[in-house]
Amino acid sequence: MKVINNIVVTLLLSLTFLIAQEQNITLGGANAGEYWLFVDSKLDSANYKEHIEDKLKLSLNYGDLTLRSIFFTWNPSHPNPNRLNYIDYLIEYDNEPVDILYGTYYTTFGRGLVLNQFLDEDFRNDNSIYGPKATFKFFYSELAILAGKPRNIFFEENTYKIKNDTTDQIRGINFETKLPLPEGFSLDVGGRYVRYNRRIDLTPKSFTELFGGNIGITIGPYEGYFEYARQLGCRPVLGGRLTGDGILFTSNFSLSGLGIVFQIMNYDSIGFGGAGYRYNEPPTPIKSGISVNRGTDEFGYGTSVNYSPLDNLNFEANYNSIKTHDKTQGVLEQILKVKSDPSENLEILGAIERLVKEQIELPVNKKTEFKPWVEATYNFGEFFLEAGYEHNFITTDTSKYYDHALSVSVGKPELFQFTLRYERRNQTPIWLVHKLGTEKSWPLAELSLDITNKHNLRIRVGGEKGGLVCSGGVCRFEEPFKGVKVVLTSIF
Amino acid sequence: MTKITKTLFILICLTGLLFAQEKTTALKNAPSFTLNDVSGKVVILDSLVKKGPVIMSFWALWCKMCIKELDALKPYYPELESLGASYLAISQDKSRSIPEVKPFAAGHKWKYQVVLDPENKLRKSYNVQVMPSLFIIDQNKKIVFTHQGYKPGDEKKIMEKVRELSGKCKACEGNK
Repeated sequence: MKVINNIVVTLLLSLTFLIAQEQNITLGGANAGEYWLFVDSKLDSANYKEHIEDKLKLSLNYGDLTLRSIFFTWNPSHPNPNRLNYIDYLIEYDNEPVDILYGTYYTTFGRGLVLNQFLDEDFRNDNSIYGPKATFKFFYSELAILAGKPRNIFFEENTYKIKNDTTDQIRGINFETKLPLPEGFSLDVGGRYVRYNRRIDLTPKSFTELFGGNIGITIGPYEGYFEYARQLGCRPVLGGRLTGDGILFTSNFSLSGLGIVFQIMNYDSIGFGGAGYRYNEPPTPIKSGISVNRGTDEFGYGTSVNYSPLDNLNFEANYNSIKTHDKTQGVLEQILKVKSDPSENLEILGAIERLVKEQIELPVNKKTEFKPWVEATYNFGEFFLEAGYEHNFITTDTSKYYDHALSVSVGKPELFQFTLRYERRNQTPIWLVHKLGTEKSWPLAELSLDITNKHNLRIRVGGEKGGLVCSGGVCRFEEPFKGVKVVLTSIF
Repeated sequence: MTKITKTLFILICLTGLLFAQEKTTALKNAPSFTLNDVSGKVVILDSLVKKGPVIMSFWALWCKMCIKELDALKPYYPELESLGASYLAISQDKSRSIPEVKPFAAGHKWKYQVVLDPENKLRKSYNVQVMPSLFIIDQNKKIVFTHQGYKPGDEKKIMEKVRELSGKCKACEGNK
């Protein structure tokens, strides 16, 4: 960001502190600071590394005007040469039927087949747009127009990286309308167009267009939604027109005590972005967040049933799958979960999860995980006790091993929770050694302390095994961790 | 890493702590909002606070502790209703997960009004840092209670706050 922008934001914030005493002005914020001290697996145990990160958010609200800013700093220790510091701001005027904003924002058109720039703070995946956006609401309808430059920040290999070319440009329009129907019935229709310009491109046509539409219907407890999207772009390097299509159909049924979801999707060259990032992020049916290639070549479906025959008994079943069209790569997920509260103070949660990955975790062709787990919580009133055990049987083409973990927690409501966890792997297969090392056990202690209702301090000491973790179709390989993590979060 | 960076980091954290301590005595206005619930009904905070205290719980399908909190508060729902309180379970699930939110809430027999916030606008307005986060708003539209995270038994403390607040609730006085 330019120096001028930094000065403007600092001045605006200083002003907010000065005028915050005014009654109609609301000033709020939050801060999250993290400090890690850990052994780098690539170095010997005498070489500790540090990770220091702070995100301070401030917001000022005066009537229909809002000013929001984020001050972020990440400063790892040497030899990591990277650092990331930025200041984001947003100025918004929101007075229905008009909402106009300028700055860093996040937006999704439809279900994300055409545009999906979102923030997943817990997964450290920040996909924003910097520019103006205007939304108008009229006669059960909403029209949004936007323009801006995308910035996709992603945390992987213990490093924050800006994945995209931040000179790319996005321009888009989204229209959604709802027909006025009696209660219990609804019919929604939407249409959208997004144009992605690329400043640096070898092909003569330096832009890509994505457009599509959706229709949604509600009849009592039933809801159905269908979305279609098309990409018209250019073939990288080769040149020529690239055409892609995406289809998403979701359907659900809800009654008190029973919820059923069914979804099906077919993506053929609809995912648009580059290596490790997408400006649209088509949905994946897999609960654990895995996709095969993020909308390039995928066919998937998923079904989920949630049923409570009694107030204190709940069952959840999932059967989800996503594969490439030639079926050489894919993920199959099966989950059965039971939750019961046999008495007022006791809660028992148990599940069986099965996950089959084909050509996802290379170099193995097929990896099957079968994980039963159980967790029980007993509340003594002043204190509570929680215990859990999981056993993950893992089979690949070349190896067979298991991971198991036992955890015990004790805590006091609104004050603290202290957890001891011991995780162990019976043997490390050769294909995993170069990724995760030869470590076979990961003891961990964690204290979560509510300093006040607005401040929480978490201290974690010990080891984490690492591996592939995913959220919303985006995956990263987490490195094994051995060290200390301290996280302080405040809200004010 | 330079000493300056470390010092700055510690200062930022401490400033946050001190600033937050000071603000606990001065109640903050709750930012207004208009959002849709899972049934398509419009939810307006300004209208809800006129009826009684409003409890807002930020949750998501992927957040295990959020679901535990909402399940734990389920038996208290009739009491909350009798106290004139409105309970909003504000889903932070992105638009791709929207079709799963309503069946999940129905399957768990939640009677809370489940509100959709797919672009996390409300999360930003209320500066939510940790999931779950819970806010109690009184009839003067002031945030009188904030709670981050969930530990078994927290629901009893939350109910104590609502009961305490309902003593001041005008609608409840009318009922009495």
